[in-house]
Amino acid sequence: MKGYFGEFGGQYVPETLYPALVELENAMESAFNEAAFWTEFEGLMEDYVGRPSPLSLARRLSAHCGLEVWLKREDLNHTGSHKINNAIGQILLARRMGKARIIAETGAGQHGVATATVCALFGMPCAVYMGSEDMQRQRLNVERMRLLGADVVPVTTGSATLKDATSEAIRDWVTNVDTTYYLIGSAIGPHPYPTMVKRFQSIIGAEARAQILAKKGALPQAVIACVGGGSNAIGIFAGFMHDPVELIGVEAYGNGVHSGASINFGFPGVLHGACLHLLQDGDGQVLPTHSVAAGLDYPGVGPEHSFLAMSGRARYGLVDDRQALAAFALLNRLEGIAPALESAHAIAYLNIYAQDHPGACVIVNLSGRGDKDLHTVLEEGL
Amino acid sequence: MISEAILSNRRAIIPYVTAGLPDMETTGKIIQSLAKAGAAAIEIGIPFSDPMADGPVLQQASKRAIDAGFKMEDLFEHLPGWAAQCQVPLVIMSYINPLMRHGLAPTLRRLKTSGVSGVIIPDEPADAGALFVLTQDAGLDLIRLVAPTTPAERQREIVSQCRGFVYAVAVKGVTGARTLMPPELEGNVKAIKSLTDLPVCVGFGVGSSAQVDAIMRFADGVIVGSFLMERLMQAEDPVAAAGEVMKILGAPIPEDI
Repeated sequence: MKGYFGEFGGQYVPETLYPALVELENAMESAFNEAAFWTEFEGLMEDYVGRPSPLSLARRLSAHCGLEVWLKREDLNHTGSHKINNAIGQILLARRMGKARIIAETGAGQHGVATATVCALFGMPCAVYMGSEDMQRQRLNVERMRLLGADVVPVTTGSATLKDATSEAIRDWVTNVDTTYYLIGSAIGPHPYPTMVKRFQSIIGAEARAQILAKKGALPQAVIACVGGGSNAIGIFAGFMHDPVELIGVEAYGNGVHSGASINFGFPGVLHGACLHLLQDGDGQVLPTHSVAAGLDYPGVGPEHSFLAMSGRARYGLVDDRQALAAFALLNRLEGIAPALESAHAIAYLNIYAQDHPGACVIVNLSGRGDKDLHTVLEEGL
Repeated sequence: MISEAILSNRRAIIPYVTAGLPDMETTGKIIQSLAKAGAAAIEIGIPFSDPMADGPVLQQASKRAIDAGFKMEDLFEHLPGWAAQCQVPLVIMSYINPLMRHGLAPTLRRLKTSGVSGVIIPDEPADAGALFVLTQDAGLDLIRLVAPTTPAERQREIVSQCRGFVYAVAVKGVTGARTLMPPELEGNVKAIKSLTDLPVCVGFGVGSSAQVDAIMRFADGVIVGSFLMERLMQAEDPVAAAGEVMKILGAPIPEDI
């Protein structure tokens, strides 16, 4: 069925928004079929974002883990993460649709910064919903967004994190649906968002595949990426979907049991417009999550990941706070790279992967840089 | 049964009450109090942790009910008693997730055997065809929402899948009382009425007797949620307050209907 990945996905929104989703889907399809749309997108990717992002062989990390590790350097993008790819794509779409105002949700602040950035670039007003808890731990990104001219709206309801910021953004959208474009930051939400976000982020996988073939002359054995909502993972997976390459998502395990990791510990349910693996109790109430990485602190996951997990095409591992913090330190010391704490989860998984696959060639999607996390890392006593 | 209850009430007010606030026993008494005060039907809201169609008041109500220990099992235990005690139809309002958790079909059947007459699910507009069949199999009325943004063609499709009544959403936005109703509301309701013999009731934003007056000129009923819940949450005696709110809104006393 349209908008579904197996049983996952769909369009579970208030009726008021349903026509807006139809409008969005039509606009997306017409844009995607137009060469000029992609010419403009690719031009901005090159000239504004600085793509293609490098694929770097991490020599000392490889030696340390007993693997051949290549890093897809999304951290080197303008604004410091993969989020800008999607933000550029969607604002081009918003402009085509004649929308006058942009809203977004953000967890770690990376998507908020990316959205505020493209709004500055295109001269559009922007409101970013952010959990007050996340505003505390990502102060630097809050200030960046404000400098870029965005209105950062604190969300104090629920757990005051990404889940609640997303609900609040949807409430704004339902109220201002005629004028406002909701620029969703991950491969979540109702159809067509998961498909659209994947399309814009698939530039990561397309580049990485061409780069590894050019540099090494062979495909990797595995591609590893962290998964919260899962946009960086679905973006890099997209390039290798039909190859004999293992696709591994890494979920945040926080402090251990009941902290997060919806594919590993959730049940199919509906949140923010889609059916997906959801951390919930026996009554269908969504459970609070915890991760040191604000961008992974989410009780759901993109519906296509739910599908890939069920079909067996991808598998989803676990890394906890402590392992992610250690990987953050390790990558600094061995490669001179400070990864985002989100991406540090994927780095941490290398140790686990190496146990059963010594010497294997892997690509890790280094989805963002870690400057924003220094404060948290210092607080954690690293 | 729901449609008759609405059409036979000369000022059909359908109050919405969050289940389990402050506790299940009190919810039962509030329902009785609302029925005695002339409610045409009563909407019972299943609290949900992430109510994205709700404004601050109903978000707060949901949160408080969950914090107070709301459990679906308790609801199923209490529903038959509530249904038996009051003479008006009970309608469940729930986001789809709590209804899906143990299977949508068995949960809907269980609601029916517990005395519920109909369901409103505000976040399932796309594949409502499947929901229509499931509710029909369960013997429940499916009350679907028509929004101010719903195009004419889609209005027709939605109305064809409604039983009990058609829920006309008054405003673009989330639930919560508002001072002004949009001018296009009357035209929207009339357009829906031209498509169906079912009663058309207006909800989202209703918060005064004057608004009820105005809406009743062109609609068959009004749904009142946030306005009621805000007062119930503030009241020392929510059971008495429930009756008072119905009085404020000009509900007809039952002998008078």
